[in-house]
Amino acid sequence: MITHGFKTSPVKRTLWVVASTALVGLALWVAFTATPKIVTDLTNVTALTLAFAGLVVLTHYLGLLSLGQGALVGVGAYAALHVVNDFGAPVLWMPLAGLFAGILVGAVVAFPSLRLPKAYLALLTLSMAVAYPIILRQVDGNLPITLDGAFVAPSWTGIAENDEHIWEFFLVAAYASITIFFVQGLLRGPIGRAFIASRDEPEAARAFGIPVYRLRLYGVALSGGMAGLAGGLMMIPTNFNDYTHFPEELSIKMFALAMAFGGSRLVSAIPGAIVLIFLPVWLIDRNWVVEYGWIGLVKSEGFMYAALLLVTAYLTKGKGFMSLFERRRPKDLVKPPNRRVASVVGALVDLEARLTQVEELTADQPDMRSRQDSTD
Amino acid sequence: MSLFLQRTFDSLANGSAYAALAVAISMVFRSTGILNLAQGQLAMFSTYIALVFATGPSPYMKFSSNTDLVGAAWPVWGAILGAIVISMLLGAFTERVIIRPISADPVAAVGATLGLYLLLGAFVRKQWGGRTMFLGSPFPQTVDDRWDIGGARLWHDSVGITVTMIAVLGLLAILQRQTKAGLAFRAVTSNRTGSLLVGIRVSRVLMLGWALAAGIGALAGGLIAGEINVRPDMMGRLLVFGLAAATLGGLRSPVLAFVGGYLFAFLETMLGGYVSFVDSQVTLVWALLVLILVLFVRPSGLMPRTESWQRR
Repeated sequence: MITHGFKTSPVKRTLWVVASTALVGLALWVAFTATPKIVTDLTNVTALTLAFAGLVVLTHYLGLLSLGQGALVGVGAYAALHVVNDFGAPVLWMPLAGLFAGILVGAVVAFPSLRLPKAYLALLTLSMAVAYPIILRQVDGNLPITLDGAFVAPSWTGIAENDEHIWEFFLVAAYASITIFFVQGLLRGPIGRAFIASRDEPEAARAFGIPVYRLRLYGVALSGGMAGLAGGLMMIPTNFNDYTHFPEELSIKMFALAMAFGGSRLVSAIPGAIVLIFLPVWLIDRNWVVEYGWIGLVKSEGFMYAALLLVTAYLTKGKGFMSLFERRRPKDLVKPPNRRVASVVGALVDLEARLTQVEELTADQPDMRSRQDSTD
Repeated sequence: MSLFLQRTFDSLANGSAYAALAVAISMVFRSTGILNLAQGQLAMFSTYIALVFATGPSPYMKFSSNTDLVGAAWPVWGAILGAIVISMLLGAFTERVIIRPISADPVAAVGATLGLYLLLGAFVRKQWGGRTMFLGSPFPQTVDDRWDIGGARLWHDSVGITVTMIAVLGLLAILQRQTKAGLAFRAVTSNRTGSLLVGIRVSRVLMLGWALAAGIGALAGGLIAGEINVRPDMMGRLLVFGLAAATLGGLRSPVLAFVGGYLFAFLETMLGGYVSFVDSQVTLVWALLVLILVLFVRPSGLMPRTESWQRR
């Protein structure tokens, strides 16, 4: 559900400003007080939020299935790393290489598959997810490739040289905020409404002149670009990449989380990213990963994701838990304001129903015209 | 020429596995419209079941704490047959309990198959670990078990796997064409509402379709395990080729999916053998590129283009 009245409501605008300010304050506080490990994890969460947001666009706005979002993140990471190492691009701009690589690969996969039933996009993206680590291993070899560059905070920031994790967090947060702001604006406008129309009623959308195929192609490319940008951003705190970073399980987990937590707002991408980064940490902290047998199964990451997917499929019919909290569709807008008007409207509706019945009765009588129609 | 012949022979065993998975995927998609992404994992799980039967009361392969269920080690054929039966039951159970309640929503159904994918993977890793194991082939597999044809070696187990798969799929075709159950299955895949109206129990037919698909996958897993060994990720690569082969059949034609399986295996072997910059790992990528190219040029695969294949 898109909120159209957001700009016109001063209360909501004030709330939005307060919430944004609080979030910025919280980010500053966490960045300067938390341990480097937590800040780095939060940086990864911020980057991955973009990839999840791309998946939300695809799954919840366009009704398409992508099982290769993790591979697209990997493509972005690869492009960002190599644009610096091989072409000497400035490190601050390297995430943009990920963005463009993601758009390109997303479009290449979408171009043939969107002409076919929706299952084909799922099929091709899953194949891409499986193939990506194999390709990367072939191209980059078994050993990790390290970034030839560093992120040193400018002196005006006051961030110490050995606190580069803080600067990296701010960089990623800035990239992510700008992208989310841009994409949210896009989704609130005519393009977002066209996305929803092409998802719910593609035939009607075509009848109204919406180019459904092209729109879906742009949607997949946009989603791929967001994933690629996320990959590029992940290289800021991580600084290295190898074929084990983006296995096919990552894509499936991302799909599971986007399906479970995704709603019709981009903000619903945040819980998915948090779970993806912090769940393994939590499991390792509890030493659950080394347990085997039935107990080990229940405490395993795979079981938890499987349970999440199955519960989401059953309880929300694939719409995600966020949809349970979203505002219902407004009730009938033509509802009369008082009883007197209601009685008049009721009488008119009754009269119309009777007229329809009479018309049907007369239409049942065979006449010359209907016979002529049938011969035509 | 003998090298070409050798590579063609080499592609037979893999082709049988790809073809079997492709047929299983096509059968489910054709009847329900759902892409069963857990097909490969179901086959992998069945192979582990076969391994439990074949190993007997081994401490490494015990199923939970109860090894008496299995007793002494079974011969490989018996183990594969046992795994097929269990897999068919699991397939029917999956359709009845997991898929049917949410089958009206394809996104939820695909999500559920992915849930099953993760669940089976997690189960196998936690139950038997991630190490590689060996099931053995039901066919003779020593160095002397071969025919020399035109300077190339045709191994008995490759021929056995291929003939078994062709025979099973032939039986499946007979089942579909000569029996009432097959007629009902064809009616349901053709028009589900019409089938309901003429009194066919659609839900039972769909359950049968899932069971058969799971059984075929189990057979493929059991047969190919002698070639590629048993490990939790053994079916990842096979699934991709199986999906690609199913695409060649437009996801709806088991026969063309079967042909597609052998085509992709042939392509994989030839690319790896004759193209210098393509090593055996990267053949997967080239096969994918071929798939994308096919979808560009001919979206319906090898299927004749009909009205339903027009742009959506």
